[in-house]
Amino acid sequence: MKTFLSLLTALAGAALANPGMTDRITPAEITSRKEPSPIKSLQVTAPSTEVKIVRPTGQSLIAQSDILHDGRNWTIVPKGAVLHVPEALSPRVGAKPLGRLLTWDEFLTVNRGWVFTEEVTMDQAAGKRPVGASRIEFWEKNGKVIVAVHLGGPISVRPESLSPVATIK
Amino acid sequence: MKTPLLLCALLGSHAFAEGEGFVNFIRQDQQTTGVVWSMPVTPRGGAPSVGLLEEGGALFQLWTVEQATGKDYLLDQKLVGAYLPAAAIEITTLDPYSRVPRTRADQPFTVTVHVDGLLTGANLPDAATRVLLEHHLAPFSPGKSAVTPAQAVSNAPDSSAFLGNDGETLLRFPVTSLPSADPTLARGEEHFVVHALGDGSISQTQLASAFVEIWPVASGAIAGLNNGATIRYNAPPLTITLKDLYPRSDSWLQVYEGAPKLNSDGTTVSGSKLVLDQDESADRVLTLASYDSVFPEDGTYTLELLTRTPFGIDRLHYITVQVNRTLEIRAQLNGFDER
Repeated sequence: MKTFLSLLTALAGAALANPGMTDRITPAEITSRKEPSPIKSLQVTAPSTEVKIVRPTGQSLIAQSDILHDGRNWTIVPKGAVLHVPEALSPRVGAKPLGRLLTWDEFLTVNRGWVFTEEVTMDQAAGKRPVGASRIEFWEKNGKVIVAVHLGGPISVRPESLSPVATIK
Repeated sequence: MKTPLLLCALLGSHAFAEGEGFVNFIRQDQQTTGVVWSMPVTPRGGAPSVGLLEEGGALFQLWTVEQATGKDYLLDQKLVGAYLPAAAIEITTLDPYSRVPRTRADQPFTVTVHVDGLLTGANLPDAATRVLLEHHLAPFSPGKSAVTPAQAVSNAPDSSAFLGNDGETLLRFPVTSLPSADPTLARGEEHFVVHALGDGSISQTQLASAFVEIWPVASGAIAGLNNGATIRYNAPPLTITLKDLYPRSDSWLQVYEGAPKLNSDGTTVSGSKLVLDQDESADRVLTLASYDSVFPEDGTYTLELLTRTPFGIDRLHYITVQVNRTLEIRAQLNGFDER
């Protein structure tokens, strides 16, 4: 309790310009200040069932992405965002990173000649509404790499939405 | 429901997110449908998240990719959902540095955990009535001064507890909890994470996270003069060794007449003032010569090595010397003849 009071005093006095001079603290002094973790004193009944905690380890943004590159620059989009790749442009999709990494906007600005964006709705991205056969035919005639975007950002599209004869419930 | 997402808070979460040579990405992962949206990112500012938040919530992740290596780092993530509890964590230290909470191994800090949206009542699922608070300790590896959030939380937490009520929980830590053979030399990060209680339907459970950097207590030594030495002519060159200087600190060597006494004002030795204002602690070695002017007359003098940090002034080392330049000639003249 005494320590907490001095701690509060210390925190309240944070704005003081010069708290004074002391000799360097010793290891023993720090050890004497240590207290059991305050988290251990929190007492809330644990749940009756096993808790499933998922920690963000072992993830990779690049592994979760498709890579587009033009030989000098590259960018990444979520896997599933590349809707169509003409055979002639296939070397520019999915290769190893090469050159300078750009944001999507920067990459699109310099590569509009071969990258075309297809605005999709959230329902289409989620596979709840088909993109439509006419759009898919257009992509094939367009001759460019087609990337799905939503509000300016690349977005993954579930394959159910991309069937020309989709029967989505 | 649109969710305002404060990119500034996210992007400030790690020092190298703002550095040159890194490109940032924010991904929104809809938990129910698996749709992943890449949000256009600017270095600072606010932006609305995309469209509807599904029942299962959305996971927001801030990533950065290093240009030179193509290596990606997950800097922060947050699970948000209309039917999920919300949480926020705030860490307060005595260092006013604004980019990231930081403090020193011997200094106190507080952690405030805000929880909102928990339900009370019978027959409710665990996920609606509790969240899990974890405290992870991440000492820096030798030669390193940073750790990614994913690395920091990869091991079992040092401590954890369930929080069952909305509102604030205030946790006070008098000193760091980082393990170290010498607790004055502890260096690393302490991470605090609030998790939703997953039922297997969501890919990640982290609702909020925050961390505090812990830097060691500086040490130093004055070499070239021994304690109790006498200076009879010119003062010898000094070597000043400073280790683990706090990232924002001023260090100097001062001299005053008399015996050692804390809070004495002395004369700063020319060339000894060292100003540090950076992201990590540092070691320095200074060589000082031609400082005789700090000993204007014979007497007892104290040399003190000091460092000023946001926590006060620490005396790292001191010695006392005697200055005695009076020339005494003892001679006897004999055998002079008048010529």
